[in-house]
Amino acid sequence: MAVYSFYIFDRHTECIYTKTWLPPATSAPDGGGGPQGPTAAQHAPQQHQQQQLRTSSADDAKLIFGTVFSLRNMVRKLGGEDDAFVAFRTAHYKLHYYETASSLRLVMLTDTATPSMRNVLHQVYINLWLEYVVKNPLSPVEHKGGAGVKNELFELALDQFIRGLM
Amino acid sequence: MASSKASRLGEETRMDKVNAELVVLTYGAMVAQLCKDFDSDYVKVNQQLDKMGYNIGLRLIEDYLAKSNTFKRCSNFRETAEMIAKVGFKIFLNITPTITNWTSDGKQFSLVFDENPFADFVELPDDGRAQDELWYSNILCGVLRGALEMVQMQVEAKFVSDVLRGNDTTEMRISLIRYIDDELPPEDD
Repeated sequence: MAVYSFYIFDRHTECIYTKTWLPPATSAPDGGGGPQGPTAAQHAPQQHQQQQLRTSSADDAKLIFGTVFSLRNMVRKLGGEDDAFVAFRTAHYKLHYYETASSLRLVMLTDTATPSMRNVLHQVYINLWLEYVVKNPLSPVEHKGGAGVKNELFELALDQFIRGLM
Repeated sequence: MASSKASRLGEETRMDKVNAELVVLTYGAMVAQLCKDFDSDYVKVNQQLDKMGYNIGLRLIEDYLAKSNTFKRCSNFRETAEMIAKVGFKIFLNITPTITNWTSDGKQFSLVFDENPFADFVELPDDGRAQDELWYSNILCGVLRGALEMVQMQVEAKFVSDVLRGNDTTEMRISLIRYIDDELPPEDD
């Protein structure tokens, strides 16, 4: 199984954490050209591309939030308040969703063969988020712009945990 | 039914323990310091305790959600009250306050504390005002307010009687003001 990316959204619908484990497919169109002595001319478009990549990843987060938010609302409308949206699958990936009662939303994109990651997301919440972000006395309560989330302990532990699954 | 489930949940949840006297003395020292800092302006002390509790509550709720393994949201405020008394207070303070005095609309109830771990060994200052003005355990009101706000309930919590003041019981009144709606993502253009 492979984990592609992971997002955390707070109760203000802001994306406060993003992590990707594989480069997005669009990032390497020139088939392994690599950084072999980039000339100035090559350098400029690369930077441009990187910038594009960054804005597109922020857009991705927004799109993902919009999607899961609507799906969750639809699921609740059809299946009652107790129903929960868990995952959806496309031809290329599977999106897993976990929401806490405090409106923290965890989203993970994996390959299509992966079984339910609900448990994994729950573990991320109680073992990593709680221990390294909530219980960190110096981290703020509101994580505007991701403040307090991108601390070393959390990032390392998350990376280790996810890599352990793959 | 629901209430026995809640008490079982409270019993089963394992928490690390700290020495009770350490808690009493730490909390007592803090309140005493606040009284000093605010020059025995007990109204301000109450406010400050509530504010500190609020900030604790905002974080504590996450610990509660993770430790209590409650996946489902409470379906009504009565269930919320059960969970507060039998799970929340049980796992964090190892006490179970009694829920009473519901209003008929189901939006207000009282928690009566038979024991209060913060108040052991405590005697309010004998200056003639503390007995009428200071709510010694007011931090608990703030904790509840903060924690419930994070799970989308705006409540008002205040003490209405306290054995430390010479009342027969220690009673906290909690009123539901409203359920907070989900925040919507900002409109994109």
